[in-house]
Amino acid sequence: MDCVEARPLLHDLRRQRLAQPLAEDLRAHLAGCTGCRRADEAEGLLDEILADRLPRYAAPPGLKSRLAGLETAEARPARRTWARFAGPALAAGLAVTTGALLLERQASRESVALGALTGEAVSDHLRVLVGQHPLEVESTGSHEVKPWFEGKLDFAPAVPLPEVADLRLTGGAVGYFLDRKAAVVEYALRRHAVTLLVFRSEGLEWPRREGTSLIASAARGFNVVLWRAGDLGYALVSDVNPEELAALGSRFAGF
Amino acid sequence: MRGLALAPSPESSRGEVGPRALEHADALYNLARYLTRNPSDAEDLVQETYARALRAWSQFASGTDLKAWLFRILRNSWLDRCRHERRHPTEPELDEQAEPASAASDGWLRGDLELERMRRLVGQEIEEAVLTLSEEQRTVILLDAEGMTEAEVALVIGCAAGTVKSRLSRARAALRDRLADYRR
Repeated sequence: MDCVEARPLLHDLRRQRLAQPLAEDLRAHLAGCTGCRRADEAEGLLDEILADRLPRYAAPPGLKSRLAGLETAEARPARRTWARFAGPALAAGLAVTTGALLLERQASRESVALGALTGEAVSDHLRVLVGQHPLEVESTGSHEVKPWFEGKLDFAPAVPLPEVADLRLTGGAVGYFLDRKAAVVEYALRRHAVTLLVFRSEGLEWPRREGTSLIASAARGFNVVLWRAGDLGYALVSDVNPEELAALGSRFAGF
Repeated sequence: MRGLALAPSPESSRGEVGPRALEHADALYNLARYLTRNPSDAEDLVQETYARALRAWSQFASGTDLKAWLFRILRNSWLDRCRHERRHPTEPELDEQAEPASAASDGWLRGDLELERMRRLVGQEIEEAVLTLSEEQRTVILLDAEGMTEAEVALVIGCAAGTVKSRLSRARAALRDRLADYRR
């Protein structure tokens, strides 16, 4: 092997992409060639620079939340129904195409909205989990927790406590949901923490779902159930399984 | 190809694409940052990539590398956006812009002083040097740094695997030259 043959193979050798006989030939050439050893050193240095010193950008958490919401929304039956009819609709003509594009834009916007709501709810839940003193009032009675919010919020949050086995209220706090104050009501379901966030829903983009007022979503391993009642929005968050959380959400919402 | 291959895409497995695809969000965002050069455009590009991927999931062939497939969608989305919005003129082909291979070979022989200069480079200088490369050069350099094989890179940029080898070699030579210009 000479230098002309050796040089193009140096990177492959470092990536361990060469067949054994060829790799051995190249190593033998390197052992006796100062110029190629220097070239190999330059290859290695470039690899090191790219691996260790080139800034690497991680996706921001907000983006990941939106992506998770996008996937959840895309996987819903209503979305699949649209997709099934999209082909014929596109073939039907420009007017229908325009309608489909608008529908798609709407679906995309709602996916983003769901992702944002879900991501924020999970972040709020995590703040409760990792906080040293997350609860400002600790009580197992809704008659103590609900009055505690008086004067602290510009709305009166419901503090539901349905009769569900192994569910108990543990307390509450005032927090933030996106750009607004929220009531943070904390429960324990067996050994799982469950957070109910209550906030004014005015001005928030809210995904539309037909057939039910409850919207199930998930992000970062946590499940979220969202609903609205009047001008208040509710987000129930926990790591309990989605079916159980949805059932709990139904009880909380009174559906 | 490395082990990111998926099962076919029956309706039952569709829901699995999200978590698997999300595993690559950081890598996709990193390339998007180097393509778009700014965080908010990069976020938009990655989001568009996932939206396209979910819509095209039924076309995802069994045995295809999911990571490479997502990168391909991201790059095509970026090129579509560039063409459509005219924010950037279409960048010249690598072969038109890259230095000839002989120049790269000469660069290797510049000596210990060049290597010493490169050793002292900091992250910002390296990033600036990468950003001076053409879009395709940046792409092949970053995909290679991700540990992707030539076959995977070929799937992303839509060329033969053998072509990737020469393009990568020229892109690395071009980057070495730019890096060597720092700290002179």
